[in-house]
Amino acid sequence: MRVSGSGPGSMRLRLLLALAALWLSDANEPGTAMTTRDINQQTRESISDYTVKGHDLSTPGSHLSTQDFNQQIEENISNLTSAMYSISIDGFSSAPVEENVTLYSPANITLLCNLTRTSTDSATVEVTWKKDNERVESRNVTINEIKNVWSTQYTLKIRDRNQMGNYTCVFKSDQEVQATFHLQVPQIEGKEHHIVSYVGDSVVLVCKSLKYIPINWIWYMSNGSDQVAVNDSLMPDKYIVDEKYANITKLKILNISEKDDTSYWCQAVFKLGESKGKVSLKVLTYMTPLKPFLAIAAEVIILVAIVFLYEMYSKKKQMHAEDEKEFEQIEQLKSEDNNGVENSTTRHRKV
Amino acid sequence: MSPPANTHLAYTPPDGGWGWAVVFGAFISIGFSYAFPKAIAIFFKEIQDFFGTSYSEIAWVSSIMLATTYGGGPISSILVNRFGSRPVVIFGGLLCGIGMISAAFCTSILQLYICVGVISGFGLALNLQPSVIIIGKYFLKRRPIANGLAMAGSPVMLSTLAPLNQFLFDNFGWRGSFFILGAILLNCCVAGALFRPIGMAADPVQKQTVKQAEKTVKEQPNNSSVEMVPPRAVSLLSGTEEEEEDKDCCEKFNKYLDFSLFKHRGFLIYLIGNVLMFLGFFAPIVFLAPYAKHLGIDEYSAAFLLSILAIVDMIARPTTGIIANSKWVRPKIQYFFSFSIAFNGACHLLCPLATGYTGLVIYSVFFGLAFGMVCAMLFETLMDLVGAARFTSAVGLVTIVECCTILLGPPIGGTLIDTFGDYKYMFIKCGAVMVLAGTFLFIMNYYNYRMLAKEERERKATEETMKDNKHIRTETEDGNIWAKEKMQDGPEVEPLTDEKEGLKKEVNGKSEV
Repeated sequence: MRVSGSGPGSMRLRLLLALAALWLSDANEPGTAMTTRDINQQTRESISDYTVKGHDLSTPGSHLSTQDFNQQIEENISNLTSAMYSISIDGFSSAPVEENVTLYSPANITLLCNLTRTSTDSATVEVTWKKDNERVESRNVTINEIKNVWSTQYTLKIRDRNQMGNYTCVFKSDQEVQATFHLQVPQIEGKEHHIVSYVGDSVVLVCKSLKYIPINWIWYMSNGSDQVAVNDSLMPDKYIVDEKYANITKLKILNISEKDDTSYWCQAVFKLGESKGKVSLKVLTYMTPLKPFLAIAAEVIILVAIVFLYEMYSKKKQMHAEDEKEFEQIEQLKSEDNNGVENSTTRHRKV
Repeated sequence: MSPPANTHLAYTPPDGGWGWAVVFGAFISIGFSYAFPKAIAIFFKEIQDFFGTSYSEIAWVSSIMLATTYGGGPISSILVNRFGSRPVVIFGGLLCGIGMISAAFCTSILQLYICVGVISGFGLALNLQPSVIIIGKYFLKRRPIANGLAMAGSPVMLSTLAPLNQFLFDNFGWRGSFFILGAILLNCCVAGALFRPIGMAADPVQKQTVKQAEKTVKEQPNNSSVEMVPPRAVSLLSGTEEEEEDKDCCEKFNKYLDFSLFKHRGFLIYLIGNVLMFLGFFAPIVFLAPYAKHLGIDEYSAAFLLSILAIVDMIARPTTGIIANSKWVRPKIQYFFSFSIAFNGACHLLCPLATGYTGLVIYSVFFGLAFGMVCAMLFETLMDLVGAARFTSAVGLVTIVECCTILLGPPIGGTLIDTFGDYKYMFIKCGAVMVLAGTFLFIMNYYNYRMLAKEERERKATEETMKDNKHIRTETEDGNIWAKEKMQDGPEVEPLTDEKEGLKKEVNGKSEV
């Protein structure tokens, strides 16, 4: 949509826009560049009630911020969750801003982009929305300008995975600036470090999705470059999948062999798509820890032997010295016996 | 500066020389005994997933290990009384190693309890007590320093074992790590090898002279033969015969584990004070990291608090040893001990005032200091009260009684936290208990010092009268009495002066005959 500032028709449009701006300005707080945490929108006839929890990104120049928005379930007319997510762009010269939006179930979404414009910028701005780099229809798009803030809204209904993707709002005048919302399903975290196990042993691989409960879990294992599903009903004495709790899945692998030394993927199936977490398994033989074990045991034996040998050596020296001492004592006693008793108490003994 | 009352040792401890090698061995042994149950907690998460158990079931492994280490004290004492420190520590090291190696092949959590908890725990018990005992045998004047240095093994080993365990776990999994830790625990045998026996009957030099004496006495059965052998041997010979006649079964059992200690005033004071103290001693460490997280501090900073504690502890223990050895503190070391317990309690009482990270860091520093001070003097004060000869049995009896309160402390703290939902009551309880224990020890030791001073005066008075009567007795009787008095721990390594006296006496005896 293109707005320019000349001609009679455009006057009417401008009036309309001004009215719309006034009307919207009750709800929005103009001039604060949307830094408020909770944005409460008043009830209007056409637009249903929202409460948004989460805070928007208003730091210019920051790139991939991975703030997740939590959706709050509220009663509204269409009986579906509604939420609004917004990005504020601070002028045409800022770098592209990105936002990650985690969606768990079907909802009505409003994406809002606010561009703060300086007085030196030109009055005409072209605003477009793109989904995955393709332009979208403009019937769900509204654009307005309040003081120095150009804002554009895109409402969409998320029903299934087709609506998930990257949505970009583009502001273009002399320069171009854009912001992107990444709509995605909840991410699953696997384990960064590999799990170590031994040949013939069994191991349990765990994947968790704590905040959001998936509909289903599927396990895959990497076979070269592709991923093969792990079928626990086909091989029940090799793989056991434990699903005691819906948000934790455990894959127990029995009788491990060297072939099991690959990465495993746990896939969580949500209404709006799937996401995977990676757990890698490393298989060792019993020989591997044996080498350090033998090295340390050998060190212990050597040290103990050294200590004992040193002790025997120093004892021998001590005994030798004492034998000599005693020998001297005996000699002296003998000589005393021969010489008589009179000198006994005043004798000086050699030490 | 006078040595503390009544060592009851019949020889003079070297206070140096090989003693420092013994301190190093004790450093390693004590370090493993205290640090190992804590350091093994790194494996619990993985083992918990593997066996599919809850966290509390896994935590029992550590508790059983700690309980066995303390509960095995009396058995350890009996074995040391019978065989000496060295064989017991070597056997303990082997037992630890075997326990951990068999734990690597465990297939159920119960087997883990037995292998890690009971077997290795008992092996550590056989390490802890003898190490502490042998320091008392090798040191007297510098004993507090030796104790402080040896007890410093615990934080050093913990700081070493924690990252080492993490490294082993990342590379070998928990089974491989247990296997290798079994080999590492065998190093306790090296520590044991350093514990050269001193002042024991198993001294081969003494044995040889005794044999010589026996031979010559048989060959030349007349009085002149007496002076052909070292006078020591004769006294040994006659002494041992006399000793065996006097013993009956009660005394024989007392030789292994001295229950008469329960009549010893100092021992009872120490026991009651320490039992009270341990109720609040370990709980704050267990709950420091969770408390920090509760206040909103992130995991790594919370873990860093414990590292600060360990580092301050490491420095505090030898420093306390040096301070306790100074001539102002050593005679009144029990007061210093009570002060450090009360200081510890005061730290805990002030902890709820610390609301930010800086406050907690300051608390950790002071807590580390107080913890190190108390630990460094824990066994030194017991040695000071009962003397090194009876210390063997004393340490066994003390540890088995402390075992109960040590195990009760953290769960009681945990219950307080769960009931009130607030950590401050746990800190207040620990602080109050320790201040109470410190005050109790202070007052009772004041009383004890006064009683000891009185007894010393009475003893000196009787000694004077005995000296006057001495010259009336016959020489041979005198020789035997002298030998018997010295025979409390087996034949001694005599300093030169006694030998001279003995020689003179024998010659005098001969002259009269």
